[in-house]
Amino acid sequence: MVKRKLGALEKVEADLPNLQHKIRRDPKSYIEDFRAQHYQYESHREIYMAAPSSATDTGLISLRDLIDFISHVADCYPGICKDFPQQLIDMLMQHHLVLETELREKLVGSLVLLKKKDLLDSATLLHTLFPILISTPSKTLRALLFQKILSELRTANSKTTNHKLNRTMQTVLFNLVTSDRTSAKGLWAIKITRELWKRQIWTEAKAVEVMKEAALSQNEKVIIGGVRFFLGGDKEREELEDEDSEEEVNVGQVKHQLTINKKTRKKARAAEKAIKAVRNKERKKGNPSPLNFSALHLLHDPQGFAENMFFKHLQNGKSNLKLEQKLQVLQLISRLVGLHKLHIMPLYSYFQKFLTPRQPSVTSFLASLAQASHDLVPPDVLEPLVQKIANEFVSEASAGEVATAGLNAIREICVRQPLAIEETLLQDLVMYKKSKDKGVMMASKGLLSLYRDVGAQMLKKRDRGKEAAMSLRAGERQERRYGEQAVGEIEGLELLAKWKDEERRKKNIENGLPSDAEDNEEENDEADWAAWNVEDDEDSDVDGEWINVEDDVDIVLSDSEDEGKPASKKAKQEEEGKKDADKEAEAAKEIDFMKLATTRILTPADLAKLTELRAQAAANATLPGNKGRVAAPWTSRHTDDPLTAGEIEGLAALSAAKATREERIAHAKEGKTDRSEHMSKEARRKERKEEQGKSTTNKEKARKKNFLMTLGKARSKNKRSLVETRAVLRAHVDRGKRGGRRGNVGQ
Amino acid sequence: MGSSSKRKKDKQKDFQKPKLKVGKTKAKPDNYTDTSFKSKSIVLTQQSLHLAAPTSNATFTHNLSLLSAKSDSQRRDSLAYLTTSISSRPVNSPLPQPVSVILPSLLPLILDGATSVRTQLLKLLRTLPPGDVEDHVAQLLPYVRAGMTHLAADIRSSAVEILSWMVEAAGESTVSCAGGWIKTLNCFLSVLGWHTEESSQWSSSRASFGKSGSQGKPVVKTLGALAMFLDAGIGKPSVDGVDSEMSGDDESPDWPFPLCQTAQHMISDSSTPFAYLNLFGKPRDEEGEMYETREDRYRVFSTRFQPAIERGIKSAREEGGELGRASSGVSKVLKEAIAYGPGP
Repeated sequence: MVKRKLGALEKVEADLPNLQHKIRRDPKSYIEDFRAQHYQYESHREIYMAAPSSATDTGLISLRDLIDFISHVADCYPGICKDFPQQLIDMLMQHHLVLETELREKLVGSLVLLKKKDLLDSATLLHTLFPILISTPSKTLRALLFQKILSELRTANSKTTNHKLNRTMQTVLFNLVTSDRTSAKGLWAIKITRELWKRQIWTEAKAVEVMKEAALSQNEKVIIGGVRFFLGGDKEREELEDEDSEEEVNVGQVKHQLTINKKTRKKARAAEKAIKAVRNKERKKGNPSPLNFSALHLLHDPQGFAENMFFKHLQNGKSNLKLEQKLQVLQLISRLVGLHKLHIMPLYSYFQKFLTPRQPSVTSFLASLAQASHDLVPPDVLEPLVQKIANEFVSEASAGEVATAGLNAIREICVRQPLAIEETLLQDLVMYKKSKDKGVMMASKGLLSLYRDVGAQMLKKRDRGKEAAMSLRAGERQERRYGEQAVGEIEGLELLAKWKDEERRKKNIENGLPSDAEDNEEENDEADWAAWNVEDDEDSDVDGEWINVEDDVDIVLSDSEDEGKPASKKAKQEEEGKKDADKEAEAAKEIDFMKLATTRILTPADLAKLTELRAQAAANATLPGNKGRVAAPWTSRHTDDPLTAGEIEGLAALSAAKATREERIAHAKEGKTDRSEHMSKEARRKERKEEQGKSTTNKEKARKKNFLMTLGKARSKNKRSLVETRAVLRAHVDRGKRGGRRGNVGQ
Repeated sequence: MGSSSKRKKDKQKDFQKPKLKVGKTKAKPDNYTDTSFKSKSIVLTQQSLHLAAPTSNATFTHNLSLLSAKSDSQRRDSLAYLTTSISSRPVNSPLPQPVSVILPSLLPLILDGATSVRTQLLKLLRTLPPGDVEDHVAQLLPYVRAGMTHLAADIRSSAVEILSWMVEAAGESTVSCAGGWIKTLNCFLSVLGWHTEESSQWSSSRASFGKSGSQGKPVVKTLGALAMFLDAGIGKPSVDGVDSEMSGDDESPDWPFPLCQTAQHMISDSSTPFAYLNLFGKPRDEEGEMYETREDRYRVFSTRFQPAIERGIKSAREEGGELGRASSGVSKVLKEAIAYGPGP
């Protein structure tokens, strides 16, 4: 059959994409065609709606195509299409159960498209999609809807936070969670909230409230979803933020590549995008970073929440959570208790029955217990627990790991509430520092060094250590009573005060002024202090004047200063009266740096310097040559950070039984690639050559030559006459001179 | 070393050339797979062999199911078979299958891409008894309207033909069924391009999109159909029709004197006497409403369509030729209708 030739005009197939393209370019001229297609859509819709479940394939395809077409060009004819979005919504809402999959997806996509074209507002869209999300049995549709809802919320919040929309959506989610506490539908609320929390689109208390209600639900999946959010949601958010900031775009490189590589429109666009991204980032840098509180801090009524959770999920005999889930709930409760210093007294007696080494995942229980203790928990509530841990875990007979975990747990409890342990028990436990097991020894030493800090008088005299013993004798250290709070101060303020003093001194010296000259009226009140401060510094080593405050103060202020100065030694050797004066001066200094905060307003520059100094001090403290004590691990922990079971287990690996020889060999071999038996280098080279099919050397050939073949020559050698032998030898010598059979090149 | 010499030989084998010999078949490659097979018998899974030939009824049903076949010719042939079997049946005998069974498989074919199928379909529709069609007009109309606004001009014109057949067969129910009046008129306007003032002018680019279609003079045909449709909808009621109505009102020949208005209380002879109540469907809007009386239709027509149609007719007449002649038919119907007014 011969193909009929087509005219140019005939070739233009009258299809919808073509029409769509033309309408986009010139909507006015094609209005009649569009109207016809709209009627066509209307009739197809009518046909379809008459019997949604028994539609034919062709009808479906044409309906789908028409919906696609109309939603793409609907913005050109708002008058004709004013009912169109509502029709789609009706179709989807009423028939989403029986709709054919592709048509259903097309409907969802078209609605989103119409939203993009502003023919539909986002609240309506979300109110359409969300009920379907939670009611449809189709997995693919749910995935699609979830994705669309998320992206819709993200775009709605992209420019500015759309508070109104967020609030309505949060209310919807809240109602979903609270309306039916036994159903698993609350999971969708959790999923959406968590995702938006992660992307920092929702950071308000209302979102946290949704999760709170989820955690109090009766469906275990929902409970765990809510609990997990509180335990990990903030970390997830931080991680995502880090990821975002990590991707660096090197504009210079992009531009350079553009000059070298082939210039295409695609590459130009990529470069433009990169530049835009960088510009955006810079603009963002200028903005003040939003203060994002963690979900645990945004909780309204944490006491009520924690109590509710405890009585509902843990204390309640009817709750059917698994151990693992219970542990997660317990973790959350204990974190709340520790963070907000709540009082839930039954919680501590609840722990009692779990504190045995045979309890599965006991370290998590121990960690939770430690988390749940804070300095406002009455010591007599914690004391029996500590006693029980000591009895059950820490003994000579128990395994090293067990004792380590017990000691670590006791330490973690005592960090938070030093009064939780009795003196005798503490002294007992400290004795384990002599244990042969390394893990136990380390754990015990940890406990010891903690008590040197917080309650040295409870230790035996020989365990107190020099520093603690001296300060005890001086009466500096007082046992902190139950409920006593430390005076609040700005961390590192003394560093700033000291730095300021030094700066002023330097300036004065530069200007040739007497060091007590003041450049500022306001600082007049500080004049005396500054004056004798400098004098002191200048002639500190001249005489053994007893007012050698500066050096002493230095020691107190920053540990990094060396203590070996003769003046300070002298000062220490001074008699009691002098010491009193010393103390007075110190007190004066303390008051002075507090004055810095109370009398002056710290400028941002000051604050920046403060952080810098703090960082410097922290860095100095960790230097290896530093004599000062390295800060204990428990002081560096942030209150928001959770305590994990891993930390309780601690160095348990050290106290593990010695590995057998085979295990050690296996361990050593672990990292190494496998290799065959030992061989000489030569042999290996030969093997390789042979494998590659390459030839051998002459020597090798001679060695491998068949014995019988060599036999004739060997025999004939024996029968040679003297003359023949001579000729052979001569030829040999000659050959040697010539350089082999072939001779040297060039001869 | 000793054990590995064998391995070495194996490795060297890979590099050896295969030796070819004259007069011998080439050795099969290593990865050769034997695909030949033997079988004692061949089993066909679906085979319907009967000694007796299928009954005409069975073939009818079979052909009915073949209407959704993939190939055009198959569909056309089945349609042809159905047509002949309906038309050649003995007079006054019922259809092999009722119309309500036949029609659902026929409807999608109105939008069929193949011209031959559509022409054959029209032939089949013409053989259907008009009385049976009357009840199914509401089902037919959406498809016809979809056809009238289809992108392909051929489908448009054949849909117009089907519509004119419908008006011939069941004019009254066509114009009075749900959505039958306004929506269909809208479709007419959009086929003719008479919706707006500028698009109805002769100088405007008419039918700007798509091919004009191979069957000539679609506009003329459409105008003819429009004239018929308008006549059925708002034309002057024919005298005998009025007579029968009047006589039905006064006294029916079926019912002797003392019984008056008894006909009203009898079971209706139409299949859906209460369709206007719309008990089970979606709530209708103005366009989808039923306009059962001429008065209603005339009112809607005069407010919505009259200016557009008059304007269209005028420009068609100005174009002259065959189109002008066709337009005169429409204008004649229109004039009569206007002269009759909203009704007695």
